Amino acid sequence: MKKQREIASLFLQFLKFGCFTFGGGWSIVAQMQKLYVEEKKTITGQELIDLTSVGRSLPGTMIGNVAYLYGYHVAGVLGGIACVIGMVTPPLVILSIITYAYAAFRDNQWVMAAMTGVRAAVVPIIASAVAAMVKSAYKYPPCILVTVITFSLYLFLNVNSVWLVIVGMVLGLVISEYYERKDGGKNGAA
Amino acid sequence: MVLLKLLWSFVKIGFTSFGGLSMIPLITSEVTQNGWMTVSEVSDIVAIAEMTPGPLGLNSATFAGIKAAGVAGAIAANLGVLMPTFTLCAVAAVFFEKFKQSSLMQKIMTGVRPACVGLIAGVIASLSLTNYVIDSAVNIPAIGIGILDLVLLLKWNVSIPKVIFLSAGLGIIFFGVLA
Repeated sequence: MKKQREIASLFLQFLKFGCFTFGGGWSIVAQMQKLYVEEKKTITGQELIDLTSVGRSLPGTMIGNVAYLYGYHVAGVLGGIACVIGMVTPPLVILSIITYAYAAFRDNQWVMAAMTGVRAAVVPIIASAVAAMVKSAYKYPPCILVTVITFSLYLFLNVNSVWLVIVGMVLGLVISEYYERKDGGKNGAA
Repeated sequence: MVLLKLLWSFVKIGFTSFGGLSMIPLITSEVTQNGWMTVSEVSDIVAIAEMTPGPLGLNSATFAGIKAAGVAGAIAANLGVLMPTFTLCAVAAVFFEKFKQSSLMQKIMTGVRPACVGLIAGVIASLSLTNYVIDSAVNIPAIGIGILDLVLLLKWNVSIPKVIFLSAGLGIIFFGVLA
C-alpha cells in the first residue's frame, strides 16, 4: 500500500514537471533539484548530477532516462516507469493539440510574444539548477579543468556528449588515482 | 501497419541518438522517407519543440505520429523514442544502484560530475545565443526578463512554474503590446 502510494505520487510529481519542460529536458532537472534536493531531500545534489550524467550518456531521450533512474532509485522498476509515463503525458497532450491547430498557433502574434518571454526564462532556470549542483561536483581542485575542457569541446568543437562523459571518466580515474597515491604516500611516511 | 512502422522508425531514432539537436538529421530522413512530414515541417517542429513543453525527440515523435496516424500514431512513436529508456537505461539503473558505492565508480564519477557541469554550461551558452539574440540583434527586453528570472530563482526561491508564467506575461507585454 505504502509503495503504491509512493509510485502514485512520483507519477503526479513528474506529470507536473512535464508541464514545464521548456529547454529540452534540462528544466526538469532544475525542477527535480528544487523539489527533491532542496525541499524533500530524497536525494543529494551530487546524486542528481550522477543520475543526470548517466542519463545523458545513454541513448534515447536524456530526460526520459533521468526520470527512469530517479524513479528506480526511489521505488524500483514500477517507480521508474511511473516517472517516465508521468513526464511524457503533458507534452504528448499539449503537442497533439498544437499539431491540429498548428497554423493558427504559428501565426498568432500573442502566442509568439508569450513564447519569446518563456524562452528568455529557460537559461536562468537551467543556470539556477547548475548553481546548486556545482557545490558537490568538485572533489579535487583539478576537477575544474575537466569542466573547462568539456565546456570548450561541446561549445567550440561540437563534440558529442557521450565523448564528453568518457573524457570525464578517464580524467576522473587519473585525478583520483593521483590524489589517493599522494595521500597514501603521506600516511605511509607518517 | 502504419503504427508498427512509426514505432520502428522511432525505435531506430531513439537508439541511435543522444538527445537534443543531435536527433534532427535522423528524424528528418526517417519521417520524410516515409512521407509523414516534409522538410519544412521538420524545421517547424524544431521551432515548436523549443517553445512548448517537452524534449525535442518526444515532440517530433508526437508531431510525426499525429500526421501519420492520429493520436494512436503519436503514442506509438513516443513509445519508440522511449524504448532505450525502458531497456538499456533500465539495465543500467540496476548496475548503477549496485555499484555506485564501489571505489572504481566513485573515481569515475569524480571526473564525470565536472564533465556534466561543463556540458550543461555549454548548453546554457548555446541556448543564450538562440534565446537572447533575436533577428540577429541582442534583445534587451529578453535579457531583462532573463536577469529578473535569475534573481527570482536564486534570491527569492520562486518556483519554476511561476517563473515561466511570469515570463510569458512579460513576453506578451514586451513583444506583443509594446512591439
